[in-house]
Amino acid sequence: MQQALIIALDAANFMLALLLVTLGLAIIFGLMNVINMAHGELFLLGAYIVVAVDRGGGSFWLALLAAPVALAGIGLLMEELVVRHVYHRFIDTILATWGLSIVIKQAVIILFGPTAQQVSNPLPHALSIAGAAYPLYRLFIMAVALLVAGATFLLFYRTNLGLAARAVIANRPMASSLGINTRRMDRFTFAFGAGLAGLAGAVMAPLMSVDPQMGVGFLIPAFLSILVGGSGTLLGALLGTTLIAGASTVVSSIWTQIIAQVVVFSVAIVVIRLFPQGLTGSRR
Amino acid sequence: MARSTSTPKSGRPTSGRRRSERATMLSVIGLVAGYRDGGRVLDGVELRVSDGECVALMGRNGMGKTTLLRAVMGHLRPDAGRIRFAGQDITGRPPYAVSNSGIAYVPQGREIFKDFTVAENLLLGLIGKKARGAVIPGSVFAYFPVLAERRRQMAGTLSGGEQQQLAVARAIVSRPRLLLLDEPAEGIQPSIVQSLGATLRQIAHEEKMSVLLVEQNLELVLAMSARCLFMENGRIVDGTDTAVLRTDAALLDRYLAI
Repeated sequence: MQQALIIALDAANFMLALLLVTLGLAIIFGLMNVINMAHGELFLLGAYIVVAVDRGGGSFWLALLAAPVALAGIGLLMEELVVRHVYHRFIDTILATWGLSIVIKQAVIILFGPTAQQVSNPLPHALSIAGAAYPLYRLFIMAVALLVAGATFLLFYRTNLGLAARAVIANRPMASSLGINTRRMDRFTFAFGAGLAGLAGAVMAPLMSVDPQMGVGFLIPAFLSILVGGSGTLLGALLGTTLIAGASTVVSSIWTQIIAQVVVFSVAIVVIRLFPQGLTGSRR
Repeated sequence: MARSTSTPKSGRPTSGRRRSERATMLSVIGLVAGYRDGGRVLDGVELRVSDGECVALMGRNGMGKTTLLRAVMGHLRPDAGRIRFAGQDITGRPPYAVSNSGIAYVPQGREIFKDFTVAENLLLGLIGKKARGAVIPGSVFAYFPVLAERRRQMAGTLSGGEQQQLAVARAIVSRPRLLLLDEPAEGIQPSIVQSLGATLRQIAHEEKMSVLLVEQNLELVLAMSARCLFMENGRIVDGTDTAVLRTDAALLDRYLAI
């Protein structure tokens, strides 16, 4: 029973952190039709900002706030300098953002070296939940991710800015005909998605070994989540991450990580076979 | 026969009698444009819409009518020529800037946001524009009462006629000075076309909007416009008072029959 509870909490933990990455990826893809191959590296940079602040003796909490802001700035630069020049050429966006991901990864290796870094746990206590001891920091991650994901949903479904963004996703030419500044929406979206990825990287840093390859570990399940959930809506991202993160965590804690990978990919293949547009479908 | 236009050869409409006193709202000068893969769709379009005037643009499919509206709206970058609106040169501006300068567009096929509510669709006509508040003016619901009843409903569940009303309402919430209408009567029951025509005329009159109407439906053209232009192979080749269309079957045959 306790075992099951802990597995469920772990699954929720991974799912919520993954949701932050997936939401950014999904918004950028939905709005600009750009598959951001560098999204995993934005996550990576978020984690390394925590490492850098930690080394400099700064507070973890400061780093946690600085990472999303810094990454939003980096996202803005990426959009302005690279992505906006190729965004109507689908294949080129994949190549360009993939190139960016390599540049970022190598820059990190030059600055921090290729080896894994450790960040000390800022909340090293455990909390007792129904008799099971559970790390407090993991609960903190869940709270942060829940809050930010909830805020993202509110932003998209309850504000005029979100309405405009959804209109651009649904029909870009018509949205622009109605006076919505699609350029500004693109910039905002890219910065916002990058900021979410940066926050996810920063908040996960104390739990992971921070190394230059860690981005891929989140990028692939994030992509799978979008494929499984459907790309048209944020609800798709939510469904997809629940399924992917849930399956992955449960299987890997019962058997092994390898079997978990096999199961996750099998689930993805079956879902995509049955629902080619993802679970939420796309009615366009 | 009282045709107000002289020679089709020049490719220019000569001026009608009543419109020259009023200020020019839209002028299109020597506009040449096309799509990247296709050839020239617009081949030197000359066109003028006066303040408060409703001009109808007729012609067979594929002659460039929709492309002209898209070019005015900024969806298509012209290869040559100018587009002037309310004294400003708007050539090459992106669509959102054209929209913000006071031109509203009801595209062919309506392009309403089907998964959004009626109220959200209307709001989208406003929120891109800084100058306007984000409150839908009540006059819109006075013109289209059915939309008030269906505010909370998904736009995709409306009938074709209601969707067309929504598309028009969405265009006028921001009180534009020029309305571009692309085949508003398409796919709508004849009985509704009549009332749509009356409402559109009322809106144009009361809100002091100029209208450029692309339409094949003669009834709607007669209800709305005093002046009609004919387009052929990317040019305006002829023009007339619409009253003439009631009697001159040969003219319609020349530019509209397939």
